[in-house]
Amino acid sequence: MQKKKSFYWLAAMLLIMSLFMAACSNGEDEAGAAEDDKKETEGNEGGEKAAQEGGTIVYALDAAPEGLFHWNWYGIQTDAEVLGLFDDNLITFDEELKPQPNIASWETEDNKVFTFKFQEGVKWHNGDELTVHDWVFSLETLAHPDYEGPRYTNVQTVEGAEAFRNGEADSISGLEVINDYEIKITFDKARVNNLLNLWTYPMNRKAFEGIEVADMEGSDPVRRTPIGTGPFKVNKVVSGESVELVANEDYWQGKPKLDKIIIKVVDSTAVTGALQNGDIDVVSVHPTIGKDVEAMENVDLVTAPGLSYYYVGFKLGKFDNEKKEVVEQKEKYADKKLRQAMMHSINREEWIEAFFGGYGDVVNRPVPTAHWIAADNDDLNTYPYDPEKAKEILDEAGYVDTNDDGFREDPNGDEFVVNFSHYATGNPTFESRAKALTQYWEEVGLKSTLEMIEVNQYYDMVEKDNENMEAFFGGWGYGADPDPSGLWKSDQLWNYPRWVNEESDQLLEDALDVEIVGTDEAKRKELYVKWQQIVNEELPMLFITELQEIYGMNKRVGGLTLDVSGFNSAHEWFVTE
Amino acid sequence: MLKYTLRRILGMIPMLLLISIVVFSLALSMPGDPFGGEIDPNNTDPQYIEEMREKAGLNDPVHVQYGRWISNFMQGDFGESTRYKMPVAELIGERMPNTLFLGITSLVITYILAFVMGMYAGRKPYTTADNLIGGVNYLGLAVPSYIAGVFAIYFFSFKLGWFPFSGSVDITLQNGSFEYYLSRLHHVFLPAIVLGALGTASYTQFLRNDIIESSRKDYVRTARAKGTPETKIYNKHILRNSIIPLITFLGFDIVTLISGAIITEAIFTYPGIGQLFLDSINNRDYPVMMTLTMMFSFLVLFGNMIADLLYGIVDPRIRVD
Amino acid sequence: MAEVINDTSITKIKVQKSLSPWAVARRKFLRNKLAMVSLFFLMTVSILSFLAPYITTADITRVNIGSMSLTPSSEHWFGTDKSGRDVFTRLLYGGRVSLLVGISCTLLIITFGTLIGALAGFFGGIVDALLMRFTDFILNFPLLVFVIVLNAVFFGKLGGVPVLIAVISVLGWGGVARLVRSKILSEKENEYILAAISIGSRPAKVIMKHLLPNVLSTIIVQATLTFAAMIVVESGLSYLGFGVPAETPSWGNMLAASREPDVLQNMPWIWIPPALTLVITILSINFIGEGIKDALNPKSLR
Repeated sequence: MQKKKSFYWLAAMLLIMSLFMAACSNGEDEAGAAEDDKKETEGNEGGEKAAQEGGTIVYALDAAPEGLFHWNWYGIQTDAEVLGLFDDNLITFDEELKPQPNIASWETEDNKVFTFKFQEGVKWHNGDELTVHDWVFSLETLAHPDYEGPRYTNVQTVEGAEAFRNGEADSISGLEVINDYEIKITFDKARVNNLLNLWTYPMNRKAFEGIEVADMEGSDPVRRTPIGTGPFKVNKVVSGESVELVANEDYWQGKPKLDKIIIKVVDSTAVTGALQNGDIDVVSVHPTIGKDVEAMENVDLVTAPGLSYYYVGFKLGKFDNEKKEVVEQKEKYADKKLRQAMMHSINREEWIEAFFGGYGDVVNRPVPTAHWIAADNDDLNTYPYDPEKAKEILDEAGYVDTNDDGFREDPNGDEFVVNFSHYATGNPTFESRAKALTQYWEEVGLKSTLEMIEVNQYYDMVEKDNENMEAFFGGWGYGADPDPSGLWKSDQLWNYPRWVNEESDQLLEDALDVEIVGTDEAKRKELYVKWQQIVNEELPMLFITELQEIYGMNKRVGGLTLDVSGFNSAHEWFVTE
Repeated sequence: MLKYTLRRILGMIPMLLLISIVVFSLALSMPGDPFGGEIDPNNTDPQYIEEMREKAGLNDPVHVQYGRWISNFMQGDFGESTRYKMPVAELIGERMPNTLFLGITSLVITYILAFVMGMYAGRKPYTTADNLIGGVNYLGLAVPSYIAGVFAIYFFSFKLGWFPFSGSVDITLQNGSFEYYLSRLHHVFLPAIVLGALGTASYTQFLRNDIIESSRKDYVRTARAKGTPETKIYNKHILRNSIIPLITFLGFDIVTLISGAIITEAIFTYPGIGQLFLDSINNRDYPVMMTLTMMFSFLVLFGNMIADLLYGIVDPRIRVD
Repeated sequence: MAEVINDTSITKIKVQKSLSPWAVARRKFLRNKLAMVSLFFLMTVSILSFLAPYITTADITRVNIGSMSLTPSSEHWFGTDKSGRDVFTRLLYGGRVSLLVGISCTLLIITFGTLIGALAGFFGGIVDALLMRFTDFILNFPLLVFVIVLNAVFFGKLGGVPVLIAVISVLGWGGVARLVRSKILSEKENEYILAAISIGSRPAKVIMKHLLPNVLSTIIVQATLTFAAMIVVESGLSYLGFGVPAETPSWGNMLAASREPDVLQNMPWIWIPPALTLVITILSINFIGEGIKDALNPKSLR
């Protein structure tokens, strides 16, 4: 129960950072573009299995949904998991997280004006046909002054959105409907990531008819009777407990093979037992119980590269949120050599095996390996576990033991202690995994302390550069948008290490600059690789691991595949008995 | 009696107000904005936060905030859960039946166990069986419920596989079917036994001692002298007299059931009020936390009052002037 | 703090030889086998716990990645937990914390409760009314609920064991105060007290010299019960994750490992030792308490 909290946080972080979280979690990855990539994740599609007509599967959530079942308002990952089953995104993402056409395809010449074309004949669950008007309705809702959700930023860049929000215009001038299936969207200026930033979830006009924008969040079409365009329809919502989905016979990609999906909340402590008994068919599994699930005879463990990474950050300065700049430098960890030595002293493979059951990989950059902008390890320092080298670097940098207490002093000869903080949620493994990290540092002669801080307070302290925060543990999630500016530019609040590097800032800006990269992906990637090399060399944070997404899946379930962008469309799922 | 009852009820009001002030100040001093659920955590723009704070009334003086909270509270508006985004009253309403079911089942178990053991021990005092019952009771009093719960799960769920170890119902069953209710009973049994065992000891001991004492009384001697069968004496005459004082325990039971429910529900991951309370603290869901804390305090007050009143009814001599 | 209801023996008192009441009590207590065994056990556990640093050399906080979740062996008597820490060593260190919390809370609760109870009982009138309203107020807070809430308020700010002790004590003294007050009230009516007051003894002196010694037996018995109850409270809170901070070993924290079904089901060596130690310790304290009660009760034989 406790353990899940960090994942809420992670989920929250995912949201915060990437405006396109939704895109990578709903996973209507239509056709398997790269089949070979998926094979290892499917232990399921063997020839011996015959799909049964109809049938029901139980899809378990290990945390209760908030019950905000519309993309425009949902807040947590759990709700997104449910949403992905009954409402389709207009565009989708491949396993490198590049956008692909789904219901809508698009064309652009200059990254400023886009023409979108909808598939004809896509039906809402209430029988209405999906048209571009539904999309306009959705975008205007987000831009409405009464909309209080966090997604206005996703239309802000459309020309005229600002004027609409301020009440100066009756419609958004950048949205130009050509006919029911075509729309031209003009952005305020050309940007590389205009498409990725744009909100691509339509809203059914009839369902929300007569509901004021301010009341929409609590309204029935969001909470009790949500509708979408996806392969399944919501039949019944039992708040905080379960959702019953039935097949959408008119699904635009074909009739679903299953009759029903029952989504049930199962406490995380009960997940193993329920999987074992066959009470639940599909569930996300925490790495620490991965091995147990793998051993079950009736269950397959499917994994896909994840999009989150864990790190140890250093506070290198202090941030002023009003001025939006780092106003003060902190000296303690300013020496790059010190940080590199600390990285070398950590046995990351051993650590991942011990605390994540091996369901994670060593990572050397702040970009998940699956992402298309990820730099190859050959281009980076890999910082292998090498305590001797760490000691050498420390000696060179002047961190030597001058008073023979067994621990190194700083170059001035003063006592040096790494004060490491980790969040506490009541999950006992957090303390031991954090403690293990400090032990690695002590082994190379750096005296270390550990403080466990209650998780809600922890992130508050990290964000506000509390004096007690020096070296801190954290995790970030990554979305489809490759742009890491929100976490790394020196004027960003979420640049937790308060790292200021002009070259880095410049590269991040260049990568978004149409003048420089245009529509040339290779050029863009080159800039990001360069940026990753700088971060990898400077190490404002020590990158520890990227976790895998793990799902436990009963062997009777077939046709279900998982990749970095999530599950395939649920209309392909079936049961064999 | 009526006057006394009224006085007790009136006396609760200042106490409740005091408690509400304590609860309110605690919520204020908690990390983060206690009533800031409406503020979107993803938006860090200081101006936006300020706007929302103003809108939510967080910039008002403390006593104004308190006044608003308590007047809403009295009207049954407990606010909205920041986590589930739904009215707290609705949320509690959803979880309440589970806890009530657990509480009532455990009380039933307590009564059955206590009557069987207490009557037996009372009829045959100072025998091996009596000592055994005494010993079991002693264990029941001394062993903390969560340890009992952990052992119960280990043996009855894992080793023997007799009972499920978590949840309130089998998730695949259709609501309302016969199997559904059977499954609920199956799920509640183990936690209810653990919770019920807490109260059994005091009931048993009381019953036993009372029966022993009664059996020496004159009316029993008279009955015996008249040749009334022993079974009838015990089951009819003595038991009737011994049961009445027992109802005074009910008030205290309300109090023990609250703390018991928090722990037991946590061990068995049983989705009731106790778990909701712990979750609300872990998730900083202040409206839920405050409402439940108030509710628990109220129940304690209420339980104590019931106990006093029942006491007065059962034994008029004790009635406080 | 449930009190076991004992049937009081109805046999009449026999006149003892001229031993002082305390000596009589001591003799009775020494003859009580169950209490003596319990005392022996409690002493052993306490001594082992407080001497833990001298008994085992294993590092209590060190995470040993190579030796996680090992079954009991000659090297690790009770095996190791999921962090590779020796369970036996943690059990000893855990005892330090659990017993320390228990004793500290008991001392604070008894001291404060006795003080309030004695003042209220002795002075009566307005003092009594005020103090008892205050006591009622405190008693109306469900202990567990408020300790959890208070802990959430203070957690991380002040941190750890002292805060826990303070919070439990502040909320826990009501029962003792009530009990002491009622005892004092009945004791106060005795003539020797009236005499002491009438010759002008100061209230402090009357309370300390005359009243308290006479209610001491009640307080001692109550203290043992409180001690057991406080150990239960500490471990229960820690089990729920609202007690002693997770990085400090305590019996409750060790038991909390069993909240992972994996540990509960497959690694009983991690949680059975603290569970059994807790149960036996609490039983022992209760037996000792019963023994003392019996020994101090002039009506009981033995």
